[in-house]
Amino acid sequence: MKKTSFIVLSTVAIFGLSGCGNAPESSPEEKTYSKTPAEVYAESCVKCHGKNAEGNPAKKGPALNDRQAGELELDLYDVKNSGTNQSSGTEHDIMAHNMKKLAEKGFDYDPKAMAEYIEKSFYKMEAEAAPVLAPEEAAAEDATQTEGEEGVEETPSEESEAAAEEASQEETPAEESNEETAEETPAQ
Amino acid sequence: MKESILDKKMMKESFELIDAHLKEEGMSRRDALKLFGTGGAAALMATGATGCTGTSSNAKGKILIVGGGLSGMATAAGLTHALSNPDITILEPNELSTSYQPGQTLVGGGVWTKEQVVYKRDDFLPDGVTLIKEQAVEFNPDSNTVKTSGGKTIKYDYLIIAAGLKLDFSKIEGLGIDQSITSTGDHSPVSKVIGQNGLASIYFQQGSEDTWKEMQKFIAEAKSGKKVKGIFTHPNTPIKCGGAPKKIMYLADARLREAGARENAELTFYPNGSNMFGVKEYHDAIVNQFEARDMKWNYRHNLVAVDPEKKIATFNRHWEEKGEWDEDLEEYSVVPRSEKVEMPYDFMHITPPQVAPEEIANSPLGSGKGWVPVKKETLQHVKYPNVFALGDIVAVPMGKTGGSARKQYKVVIENLIAVMEGREPKAEYDGYTVCPLITSLSTIMLAEFNWTGKPTPSFPLDPTQERWIWWLLKVYGLKPMTQYGMLSGRA
Repeated sequence: MKKTSFIVLSTVAIFGLSGCGNAPESSPEEKTYSKTPAEVYAESCVKCHGKNAEGNPAKKGPALNDRQAGELELDLYDVKNSGTNQSSGTEHDIMAHNMKKLAEKGFDYDPKAMAEYIEKSFYKMEAEAAPVLAPEEAAAEDATQTEGEEGVEETPSEESEAAAEEASQEETPAEESNEETAEETPAQ
Repeated sequence: MKESILDKKMMKESFELIDAHLKEEGMSRRDALKLFGTGGAAALMATGATGCTGTSSNAKGKILIVGGGLSGMATAAGLTHALSNPDITILEPNELSTSYQPGQTLVGGGVWTKEQVVYKRDDFLPDGVTLIKEQAVEFNPDSNTVKTSGGKTIKYDYLIIAAGLKLDFSKIEGLGIDQSITSTGDHSPVSKVIGQNGLASIYFQQGSEDTWKEMQKFIAEAKSGKKVKGIFTHPNTPIKCGGAPKKIMYLADARLREAGARENAELTFYPNGSNMFGVKEYHDAIVNQFEARDMKWNYRHNLVAVDPEKKIATFNRHWEEKGEWDEDLEEYSVVPRSEKVEMPYDFMHITPPQVAPEEIANSPLGSGKGWVPVKKETLQHVKYPNVFALGDIVAVPMGKTGGSARKQYKVVIENLIAVMEGREPKAEYDGYTVCPLITSLSTIMLAEFNWTGKPTPSFPLDPTQERWIWWLLKVYGLKPMTQYGMLSGRA
């Protein structure tokens, strides 16, 4: 009896303490991708989700410009892993299937990087979520924001900026292991 | 019996593990025993864990926490240690909010009684924290206010959303249930059908007690020689404790064996998804465990209706078929197909669809799917930098376990204080979660993992093995760790 309670106490103590330092241990192999999110979007996603991520009903591609990165990332994670929960499955059955095929063709991406790219390039800010600006600035902003036209024209420059940035970010870790990563398909 | 030999072997394994760890810490087993003698594991954890939050901060601001379950209370407690002048208010209408939900599986399997998991909110309210026994019903994050069910308007500087999730049995037709419930709140709308006539659910507290009653009837029928069918469902929404739908099935299997009636019962798992686990190593281990126990499974079945009188479950079975050539994809497209299938049952454990509380889902703080969208590492709201969220309500992959909450609340505390001090939030949640998968009445597979999609064991042991030591951890250890360690904001 005493032995058992010793085991329990020790295990709890070890288990409890293991949660203390929350510096995440770096995962064994960082996955790398052959294309930047901007390239993947421009060469593949655009076909069904549109130039400005506005969606394409004919291809059943939903809009992606109505959500911010945090929310979008969750969807992309779901698509790439065929679900985010043990046995709940995915609400993206079709896209999860398509994504496997696209990944095989080299259109793979990190969900976080892609979500950030899409937000940065295409996100249509809702009025209420607009950043706090000085009153005159806000008025000026309002005038340009009410019609979609301005926003659309702005996109290309922002896109290339974002693309350049992504490219420079992607460069550094890329040397490590491209062989392994091409094969690794976490989707199960 | 062979159990004692088994015990010896397991005991030896456990000691080897513990000694190895203690050696690393430069401590002997004797020293450890002395330390435990002075106040148990909680004391050890308390001394060890004070380093987690660092020195206390002088940052000021009114903090409102919506939800006083495990996540909300632990965050409040931790903040009272971390801030020298805490100004914290919790909104929580349910007096049993801090109950030990992970124990509901054990109640359902007849290992514990319901009383062992019932804990009162007021016993865990940290000193100096104001409790308002009302619900938040309206959120106005642009003016930093929340309205309560009692008509109060509360202004905050910082908001923490820890409001949990709702069990939505109303999405299943034929049950006659028209409202959602919480795990430990008023269950009367659901209990009029679930918990009798072969229908059970451990997802709410009373349901867990009723599950054991229904399971015993099921076992008695099997023992009487009748061929019986047991069905275990898993819905198409994210759920809390993703392993519980299987755990209760393993326990049913174990109880049937104990009664010598296993061969008369057919047990089948019907999940909406198409695998057992998102982590391949655990998926494979579970498939092997199912096969070894003659437990059956049928993927891609979502429970949509029940006829409680005739005892028939209707599932939406779904699959994909090859479609036309898609030029953009440069592949054949796939076309979704589905059909309704009916299955008779004698006993059915229902894992209900689960949703974010609608007053939050539909507020500016919610999202298309309801869950509160955050930057998944820092747990800061995507739109409102003075808002954080954690626990079951947060929109992060996986999670929705007490184990996730145990990692998340420390991240929220650290990042909230950073924001209060005008710094960047730097602490990161890595998606850690844990599923102590009960596989029998004496074994558990301790499935720990994170967003890397790989096992992340806390101990240097093969994490895909079922072990007695994890059974001990679950049955004797995790509850005190939660009650004394986590709810006090220390571990």
